[in-house]
Amino acid sequence: MIQEKLYLKGDKLLDISNYEFKSIKNALRIGREKTIQKVKDSALKGRGGAGFPTGIKWEMAADIEGKEKFVVCNADEGEPGTFKDRYLLEERPLKVLEGIMLAAYAVGADKAYIYIRGEYSKAIEVFSEIIEAAREKNILDDNLFNSNFKLELKLVRGAGAYVCGDETSLINSIEGKRGRSRIKPPYPIEKGLFNQPTVVNNVESLCCTAEVLNPESDDFSELGIEGSRGTKLLCLSGDLNNPGLYEVEFGQITLAEIIYDLGGGINGNKDLRFVIPGGISTAVIKADDLDFPYSYQAFEKRGSSLGSGAVIAVSKKHDLLDVMLNVSRFYMDETCGTCFPCREGNRQINKILKAFKEEDRKIDTELIADIGNTIRLAARCGLGQSSLNFITSVIKNYGKELKFGGKIYA
Amino acid sequence: MLRAEIDGLNIELEEKTSILDAAKKANINIPTLCYEDGLSIYGGCRLCVVEIEGEDLLKPACATKIEAGMKIKTHSKKVRDLRKNLFELIIATHNIDCQLNCLTCSRASNCELKDIAEDIGLSKMRLDPIKRGDSIDNSSYSIVREPEKCISCNRCIRKCEEVQGIGIFTTANRGPETVVTTFKDRGMGNVECTNCGQCILSCPTGALHELYQKDSVLDILNDESKHVVVQTAPAVRVAISESFSNQAGDISTGQLVTALKRLGFDAVFDTNFAADLTIMEEGTELINRIKSGDRLPLFTSCSPGWIKFIEHFYPEHLDNLSTAKSPQQMFGAVAKSYYAKEAGIAPDDIIVVSVMPCTAKKFESKREEMAGDVDYVLTTRELASIIKSAGIDFLNLEESEYDDLLGVSSGAADIFGTTGGVMEAALRTASELITGEELEKIEFENVRGLEGIKKTEVVIGDLKLRAAVANGLGNARKVMEMIKDGEEFDFIEFMACPGGCMGGGGQPISSDKNVLEKRQQAIYEIDNNKKMRKSHKNPYIKKLYDDYLEKPGSEIAHKLLHTKYKARKI
Repeated sequence: MIQEKLYLKGDKLLDISNYEFKSIKNALRIGREKTIQKVKDSALKGRGGAGFPTGIKWEMAADIEGKEKFVVCNADEGEPGTFKDRYLLEERPLKVLEGIMLAAYAVGADKAYIYIRGEYSKAIEVFSEIIEAAREKNILDDNLFNSNFKLELKLVRGAGAYVCGDETSLINSIEGKRGRSRIKPPYPIEKGLFNQPTVVNNVESLCCTAEVLNPESDDFSELGIEGSRGTKLLCLSGDLNNPGLYEVEFGQITLAEIIYDLGGGINGNKDLRFVIPGGISTAVIKADDLDFPYSYQAFEKRGSSLGSGAVIAVSKKHDLLDVMLNVSRFYMDETCGTCFPCREGNRQINKILKAFKEEDRKIDTELIADIGNTIRLAARCGLGQSSLNFITSVIKNYGKELKFGGKIYA
Repeated sequence: MLRAEIDGLNIELEEKTSILDAAKKANINIPTLCYEDGLSIYGGCRLCVVEIEGEDLLKPACATKIEAGMKIKTHSKKVRDLRKNLFELIIATHNIDCQLNCLTCSRASNCELKDIAEDIGLSKMRLDPIKRGDSIDNSSYSIVREPEKCISCNRCIRKCEEVQGIGIFTTANRGPETVVTTFKDRGMGNVECTNCGQCILSCPTGALHELYQKDSVLDILNDESKHVVVQTAPAVRVAISESFSNQAGDISTGQLVTALKRLGFDAVFDTNFAADLTIMEEGTELINRIKSGDRLPLFTSCSPGWIKFIEHFYPEHLDNLSTAKSPQQMFGAVAKSYYAKEAGIAPDDIIVVSVMPCTAKKFESKREEMAGDVDYVLTTRELASIIKSAGIDFLNLEESEYDDLLGVSSGAADIFGTTGGVMEAALRTASELITGEELEKIEFENVRGLEGIKKTEVVIGDLKLRAAVANGLGNARKVMEMIKDGEEFDFIEFMACPGGCMGGGGQPISSDKNVLEKRQQAIYEIDNNKKMRKSHKNPYIKKLYDDYLEKPGSEIAHKLLHTKYKARKI
């Protein structure tokens, strides 16, 4: 039987009086540089979807001079199928808090924000209480554990836009501006929140750094395989018998085991058709190609990505067009409307798919391919660029089955 | 300096040059749509994307700074194919349908989208137009918005906010519902719009245009019972030929007059005459205020965009405004009183049409304080369109002279068409009236040029006049803030549009980036070539005062030529 590796998951951590803050105490003891070095050595990659090395981000931010610096915890978990950050915020908020402290201490920021998606009412409630308790205990707003490090933390509630999961859009949103991506460069670490150097980290990434710095879990960085270190929270959903949140070690479990062991296999009487491995912005993995170890590079090799860790199993009971329309509708509604390829492309894709009729079974896949390419190559932000990944991969893999006409996307 | 390669050309460039500018230096045209000189980079249309060697994703040339050693392809197959696909997407949102709205579009003769289609070699349109069903915004007296044509390039938003410093437009909603609109969708007539029309000049799609009065004017010209007189603003004569020749800087005063006569106007007069009259009234007001030290600095009041701006944003300074009406309104008032009397025509039978470089003049003519002075206002563009529709070969017309009585003007009136012109005209007259001596040099170089704010001190006898000139409302706001910060002035010229009237929102839309310089040169050339270059020397102005108005600032002058302002909300 496949075992979970439990670091991020675990007992509820809600009582600040009983929480020891071992990681941040450790960091305060070894100093900024060594803290950053440890995160770099852990080869931790961002868990929000883009996979940028966290240690390098911190190091660059630490080196940049600024009037002030900010750390922002991105808790705008909006990728459909993802619920790991919600778990961490609701059940282990002290870990999240510690991660924020670590990032802030490491890069030299004395102000931090946590931006939680508006629909997460419970997470917002829980985390607000944690912040309040931390203030009362002089953990926030005061010299931390007799060091000269002091941190202010503010909670900002998101207003429901998917695009605000993109770090530059999120920064605009905190500033009270329209949720739309910014032109990069400058990157947030140069000019972010209020034009000051800003580190934006995902909730899970920050919890991972708390493991990296925790003297009691110093094996965390050794877990996994080269290129994919540590553990990953998986959000299993779709046509599975045992959907839910799981924690796995990279490289030690195959996607097939994730689906059939952890997930308990496919429910109902239909077989699995494909797996969406990292939220609906990632390309599908076909049911006959699941036998590979779960890692960043294995998905990359297959033209996909482990994204946010939202693993969605889709069985043959679903109509493919239906699934595509569902995803397309999401992106059409959620583009911020700034750049033309994403705004107009997703609108047109939805229109084309909607116009498909069972009886004539004709759809211009060449047009879909052209639009898909245009969005991927020219959209303004990562969310836009990846918005057609799922649909184009379905057409690529199942175009024949769907009897879609035209040229198949390549 | 750094070296980089663009389309195989190795070129040397300054650091921090954008790829777009670098390409221009190498004589390579990259298509752009949301980009506009002088506005912030938006990076929305993505038409200017280019390929950078070693990178899979394409980068927008407008927003990407060139780096040493970069190898850039601006027109590779990958890029060209993508631009075509992208343009198909853009066009699909522009609502070109079988009502053939290209033919009736305000930009029919100079469509930016058509030019881009040609530049990128668009060969097919696979997507049906999307109909959003947005209704037309008819709430303004000056400007109409047709949101169906809008592609959300945000140029109007940025122009209004960044150049004019107002910001009546915003982006609302998200996804396919993303639209450009006004606060709470109230419409341009119900927000702080100054009617300057600079947004029209920036709109690439024809979604913004003036409220047309050309059909009404053609109708009234056919009404035999009406005596229709027309006035032309100073800036029209140096721009209208652009609509026919696509060439900036030509003076076509004589052709303009001939065309108006051919169109059937009963008398062709000149707003310039009223500009000379304005100088007499405003100049007198200035002298009086300086003598009494009252309500200084005096602000000019010719620009209706500026007037609405100060009414909204600095109502506490309304007393500083000259009470003199603008030349357009003075002309109307004089035409319907003095001219009516002289010509023996009942004032009710006289229709006054203005040709203005300005969209705000349409609003001004409807202001309750001076309603009835002017009946119809055409922009320069509208008149050009009427001339075309009448089959008049404008460029080859013989030249004619304005009609007497309200058609003769000084060079001082001509320069009203440019920033600094009203100030210079006023200084020419005020100096001579105060000192009683003839000026040795009548050019006031310090108030000339295109800088946004010009400040100077002019010595008139024993008076030191502290003058300033601001053009563009963004600059007007700066000067107002200088005053709030305690800086002292005696006389300030404010013009709503960058460059003054010659850069007005009603002027032909030019692709020549030196268009303002060229129009300005033409204006000064007209002034230079005139024998009479001071308003107070205009014999018809003297005659008007002798026969009718008595003297500047008289009771009857006040009744006809002065007005009031009102505070507006923000």
